[in-house]
Amino acid sequence: MKPILYLRLKKKVQAQPGQLLRIKDICRLAGGAVCEEIKEIPVYAASLNHGNYTVIDSLDILGLISEQAPSLDVRNVGPTQTIIEVHPPAKEPRIILVLLVWMILFVGSGLAIMNFHVDVSMQEVHQRIYYLVTGRHVHQPLILQIPYSIGIGTGMILFFNHLFKRRFNEEPSPMELEMFLYQETIDQYVINDEKQKVERDSHGTSV
Amino acid sequence: MELLYSLILIFIGLAGGIAVGSGFVAFITVLDIVPRLVQMTKAHRFIRGCEYSIVLGVLFFTWIDFRGWEMGFPDWATIPLGLTMGIFVGLLAAALTEVINVLPILAKRLRMQEHLLYLLMAMALGKVAGSIYQWMVFRVW
Repeated sequence: MKPILYLRLKKKVQAQPGQLLRIKDICRLAGGAVCEEIKEIPVYAASLNHGNYTVIDSLDILGLISEQAPSLDVRNVGPTQTIIEVHPPAKEPRIILVLLVWMILFVGSGLAIMNFHVDVSMQEVHQRIYYLVTGRHVHQPLILQIPYSIGIGTGMILFFNHLFKRRFNEEPSPMELEMFLYQETIDQYVINDEKQKVERDSHGTSV
Repeated sequence: MELLYSLILIFIGLAGGIAVGSGFVAFITVLDIVPRLVQMTKAHRFIRGCEYSIVLGVLFFTWIDFRGWEMGFPDWATIPLGLTMGIFVGLLAAALTEVINVLPILAKRLRMQEHLLYLLMAMALGKVAGSIYQWMVFRVW
């Protein structure tokens, strides 16, 4: 009976330009002693020449393995592609840039909430509510409005599930889910796009 | 004739109310505020109660507004009222930002995923500051 090798491609691999990715970097293997000779097979030399995304198909991997060990029964359990994301040596976002974005969001949000208040005549509504509750007309019902303002911040933090560093429970916040979904969509797009590129290229050369 | 006018007015009122009421509920539903609150408080059994609370709140405040019903409470009674109103508006604002999906894209483009927390904080604090500034200093009316 042939020895069986199970492999599972990783969904995504990060690499530096110039790094040589071997099987062990791209897949997880199970199958005992045969793994040792398989896992050092080079697969792809990362470079930035073809853009910073490359997709490795499981068929490429299976091809490489069967060259090395033709008698092996290889079974792929898991995703059929790996995305290789090639990063130039990590650039930390400069603190000044973060501060700038922070200021933009801070001022922009403040302006947006002020626009919203004018749009919905919040001042008049507050005066009206103050009158209905206490029976007195006050031009600036600050005793209502300051707790209201603090409440806005509380509500937003509650929604995003963060009390700054501390979180209330283990569930991801909507923002984290949104980030995740956005990343997933990008990955799907990259897989599709690279596939089409490859198909176009092979078509072009054969004609 | 008088009766006919009254009937027409009743019809217009009812139609307008249905349009506004269903629009309001649709808006709240799209923004997923109730599921979010229920998930946070683990009150899944009381979802029905949350729906009634929204409907009753709308009816109650419409009613006291139209009737001009003064309650004669002291000043400080408006503090919890203001706070709860603010929390609701904050949830609304956060949910809207989230639907429009600006932050994930901004953070990814600028490679600031690790600083997302600070960006959120900027938005929440910005809203509090803008709001307080508006009530205490800023005046266009």
